[in-house]
Amino acid sequence: MSTATPAPTRKPMPSALTLDLHAKCSTTKARASTLHLPHGSVPLPIFMPVATQASLKGLTYDQLKQSGCMLCLNNTYHLGLKPGQAVLDAVGGAHKLQGWDRNILTDSGGFQMVSLLKLATVTEEGVRFLSPHDGTPMLLTPEHSISLQNSIGSDIIMQLDDVIATTSPDHARIHEAMERSVRWLDRCIEAHKYPERQNLFCIIQGGLDLELRKQCCEEMVARDTPGIAIGGLSGGEAKEDFCRVVDTCTGLLPDQKPRYVMGVGYPEDLIVGVALGADMFDCVWPTRTARFGNAVVPTGTLNLRHRSYAKDFRPVQEDCTCNVCRPKEQGGLGLTRAYIHHLTAKETVGAHLLTIHNVYYQLSLMGSARQAILEDRFPAFLREFFGKLYGEKTNYPNWVVEALRGVGVDLIVDP
Amino acid sequence: MGSEFPPQSLNEMLSFKVTPSILTPRLGNLAIAGRKAISTPHYIPSSSRGIVPHISHDVMRDHTAIGSLFVGLEDFVERQNLKEQLPPAYTIPTTQGESALRKFISLPDDLLLVMGARREPPIQCPPSNTPNSVAIYTAVGFRQLEAPQYIDAVRSLNPDIVVGLADLVLGHTPGVKRRGKMVDRTHAFTTHATEQLYGTAENRSKTAYFAPVLPLDNAQQSIYMDDLEDELRPYVSGLALYESASLSAISEPLGDLPRLLFSGPKTPHDVLRDVSLGADLLTIPFIAVCSDAGIALDFTFSANTTTTNRQPMAYDLWSSSYITDTSTLSESCQCYTCRNHHRAYIHHLLSAKEMLAWTLLQIHNHHTMDTFFSQIRESIARNTFEANVQAFQRAYVSELPEPTGQGPRLRGYQLPASGANQPRRFPRVYGRLDDAVERFTESQSSVATPDTGADGLEEHGFARKEKS
Repeated sequence: MSTATPAPTRKPMPSALTLDLHAKCSTTKARASTLHLPHGSVPLPIFMPVATQASLKGLTYDQLKQSGCMLCLNNTYHLGLKPGQAVLDAVGGAHKLQGWDRNILTDSGGFQMVSLLKLATVTEEGVRFLSPHDGTPMLLTPEHSISLQNSIGSDIIMQLDDVIATTSPDHARIHEAMERSVRWLDRCIEAHKYPERQNLFCIIQGGLDLELRKQCCEEMVARDTPGIAIGGLSGGEAKEDFCRVVDTCTGLLPDQKPRYVMGVGYPEDLIVGVALGADMFDCVWPTRTARFGNAVVPTGTLNLRHRSYAKDFRPVQEDCTCNVCRPKEQGGLGLTRAYIHHLTAKETVGAHLLTIHNVYYQLSLMGSARQAILEDRFPAFLREFFGKLYGEKTNYPNWVVEALRGVGVDLIVDP
Repeated sequence: MGSEFPPQSLNEMLSFKVTPSILTPRLGNLAIAGRKAISTPHYIPSSSRGIVPHISHDVMRDHTAIGSLFVGLEDFVERQNLKEQLPPAYTIPTTQGESALRKFISLPDDLLLVMGARREPPIQCPPSNTPNSVAIYTAVGFRQLEAPQYIDAVRSLNPDIVVGLADLVLGHTPGVKRRGKMVDRTHAFTTHATEQLYGTAENRSKTAYFAPVLPLDNAQQSIYMDDLEDELRPYVSGLALYESASLSAISEPLGDLPRLLFSGPKTPHDVLRDVSLGADLLTIPFIAVCSDAGIALDFTFSANTTTTNRQPMAYDLWSSSYITDTSTLSESCQCYTCRNHHRAYIHHLLSAKEMLAWTLLQIHNHHTMDTFFSQIRESIARNTFEANVQAFQRAYVSELPEPTGQGPRLRGYQLPASGANQPRRFPRVYGRLDDAVERFTESQSSVATPDTGADGLEEHGFARKEKS
């Protein structure tokens, strides 16, 4: 390999987290643990809602806390543009900016660059792009990204990686991106100013090529970052490929480090990801779909803008214990589908209410998965979850069945 | 009916204790069985589709003191009431005596619910009212709300207080002939509605009726006002007024009724004027207007008068002077927003177009108004109201700041109807044939695009300029 050879001069990598691994599923690769971070303890596996611009889409931070959230995301790219590093430094970081005293994870800003890739090119030095306003050529380097994340002060920071679509047909480019991500990790480690209070996670790259992924795992594990992310997924690849990559990577990662699969958020993906041994997930989907009037429920999603809900006086989800669905007698708000239909897409409160429900749904789903792992009944949990979601066994997607067969659970055959 | 004493209202649910008076500030207590009593003078928050804009139910319960709500029926009746096609709010199953509207919105049981035909402030409708109906503006367009339909609404939805139909003219001053019609129609609406709602003892509505007083000279509506004092008096639990001047039109026999004023005050000074003329309950559109515009209210009634410069009553958080300002919105304010956040964050939320900005401003602005009214009541109780008003006028400038920033995207029913040859309401987002512009637009919708040039980006530590 032509990546930087693991040199003895590498900076020691202190860690600002500890992971208590409580239980492993006796059948699948699922794990239940607690991640202790500078701003509180996080039960794993977990879904992390995305507060892109230092605000979770209209929710107050007390509403977010009531959903049980211990760790949410901010986007470095967005905070770098607004309010910018100088303001973050002056205010004292993102926790102080947004009044959130629990944990924050920030991405590196690299992913957003891919979305703008037509305007950006990746070179060894960093991401070159034209300033959208005046066309001046600019360069975003791993050092910039880490410096910004240091100013943000997030509890978990991500390395800048060379992200390219996993579906890219250019194998040489994927190989180059993987190796470059390893070299950039070294630069990020070197640039990281506060390893004693911010945990730098590496990001495994390598597209859909399992051999590249293995090499990358080896290189990055050697660098001993406090946590490890599996990146470059959820970019439109086949679900089968996604599962193979996650399965391969988690197989090579040390038990004592949290594993974060980036950009994954559909309930079925989360649950399969947990079965394959991943601990952390994030996605904007639950909050974005809430703004479009969609509620996430065990049977899928309900589009509450549809007229059929205009006189549906049931809660969004029967038996849900979120503030929105819980009846008034139990201290909840007792809201109905009909009233959310009345608000949604017309008043911002409609979006707020569905965001509360959807975030709560995702978090409690992970909570019940965790409980099932702790009680070693995760395979039964899988059967129940997919039974509710898809109904008939003939509706089960093949990728789910195959992925779970790979870890010892056959959904089609009753135990 | 028509005894020598002012007849008591037939409504047993509502009681209003006040020293009957005209054209003086007065303290009162409005109590409706089962609801939180309201000390007056006070304001009633306006709602849109059943909620105070940007304030979800739990935020209202946990972080505001909102105890009453004004709701426009037009937010709930989109299509014409066909027999088989009742609006959803009418069809929610309720127990005996429960308000369907309260249950539909899922409001707290002790919140005082006031219903009018139109939102507050109403938007002008191109179709005009008819002798038997008023024009309303629903989320799907204009329609006529007929007087019997309004009575059905009161019977089906059971608000605590209903503001009677009035033939009002919005947007221009009515001519002589129209003014006559306004009086005749409103008189008929009130007579008909009170008869229908309270005429028979066995099926009497529990909703309290606030009769409209038209924004006209007293002489023009004297027949109607005489009838209110006499024939209609037992059925009327309060008065709804549409301009400050109407406060002087109230005669002695109606002096003990609560007065709900829809004068659309533009500033806190206007509010003080209305209170000084004897308003009990007010609606205050500028609270939500300020919140949407990113403006934080910042005034108290017990203001310090020793300052030589008159202070602004509010400030615009869009201003770049707040970028790193970590102070609270108002000094010593105890609202949820001020206890948890600072100006720099709200400035950031506004410029990032995050919805939370409006929520936090609504909480703060409503709290500021709550404090203002409680100071007004204390001042009246101390008999220092006049002096305090003068001190307030010396302490503060006369206008609220002009909005500069962008608010939330307004929906059709929140905007006046567009006529012919009007400019576009919103800039066109799609459909440009310029590839580069399109790409930037796309990137703007999915990914934030910097609104600064290369130097700004470098300054933000985002990236560095390349030396060529």
